[in-house]
Amino acid sequence: MASTFKAVKKAVTLPPTVRTLSSGVPHPTLVNLAAIGGGGHHGHGHSGPRSDVQPKWSGGVTRTSSGLVSKTFVTSPVNTFSQQRYIHTSTSAKDAPNVPDFSGYRASSPSNNRALQYFMVGSLGILSASVAKSTVTEFLGTMAASADVLAMAKVEVDLSSIPEGKNVIIKWRGKPVFIRHRTPDEIQEAKSTNWKTLRDPESDDARAKNPEWLVMLGVCTHLGCVPIGEAGDFGGWFCPCHGSHYDISGRIRKGPAPLNLEVPQYEFSEVDGKLIIG
Amino acid sequence: MAFANTFYNTIARRNSVFVTSIFASTFGFTIAFDQGLDKFWDTWNKGKQWKDIRHKYVEES
Repeated sequence: MASTFKAVKKAVTLPPTVRTLSSGVPHPTLVNLAAIGGGGHHGHGHSGPRSDVQPKWSGGVTRTSSGLVSKTFVTSPVNTFSQQRYIHTSTSAKDAPNVPDFSGYRASSPSNNRALQYFMVGSLGILSASVAKSTVTEFLGTMAASADVLAMAKVEVDLSSIPEGKNVIIKWRGKPVFIRHRTPDEIQEAKSTNWKTLRDPESDDARAKNPEWLVMLGVCTHLGCVPIGEAGDFGGWFCPCHGSHYDISGRIRKGPAPLNLEVPQYEFSEVDGKLIIG
Repeated sequence: MAFANTFYNTIARRNSVFVTSIFASTFGFTIAFDQGLDKFWDTWNKGKQWKDIRHKYVEES
């Protein structure tokens, strides 16, 4: 018989009645552990007979005229008070029943968290500030002249082809530019002039980077005529329109013009002996 | 932890200091970013740029 009897084992997957909190404590969802059982001092866990006096209505032995009567109520009659039974198996209505447990997501170190938050805010600030800065600079850069325009705006002059004591007139940005290779006498004369008493006081050193070469715009500062070279009372330039005399440094000495002849931006390239205007 | 608190107490506690340090670091960041990107560009295009092949065509006088 024993050989034929086989214990039937059957695996049953029961639905979980208890879920586990993230803290590891099992939590029976449907049992309201917070409910207080009724009954006042009827605490469990005592041992021995009950210490309080049993009320009359719950039975007991009474003495009557016909002798002792023992009464035992299986169901005690309800007399003085009734109470609501709070312990029950249905889910209790909580204040906010669907709020999940966030304790697993809370930062372990609040100060680290705070520093990280400020760091991220600051980094975003740094990024956006640099983006704003380069946006503005790039936009302003679009207004600047492009490289080809700048290259066109420059003129190179080979100085070795200009002999001493000669004038050369070249065109630069639509205007004539005078270049004079001055002789030592002329340099001496330009430097020795008492320039402080002139109409537009300017020293020769301020007008010519290299005293040998005088570079200036050939436009009369009076009304914009082009003066004639090696002419005039001061051995420099003479404007035929209204008779302005410029000296060998291009300074106005006589006539209606108010200012000296303008000196453009230029520099000497020492490698190949060229003059770059612009 | 100590570093985080130092960071918060020295930089982030006062907004004036915070904003000032943001602008100051923007200055440094922009320079570093530009230079880093230029360096990356040069490495990526090594041998293709004019400054890399200039010596083949131009002889220094």
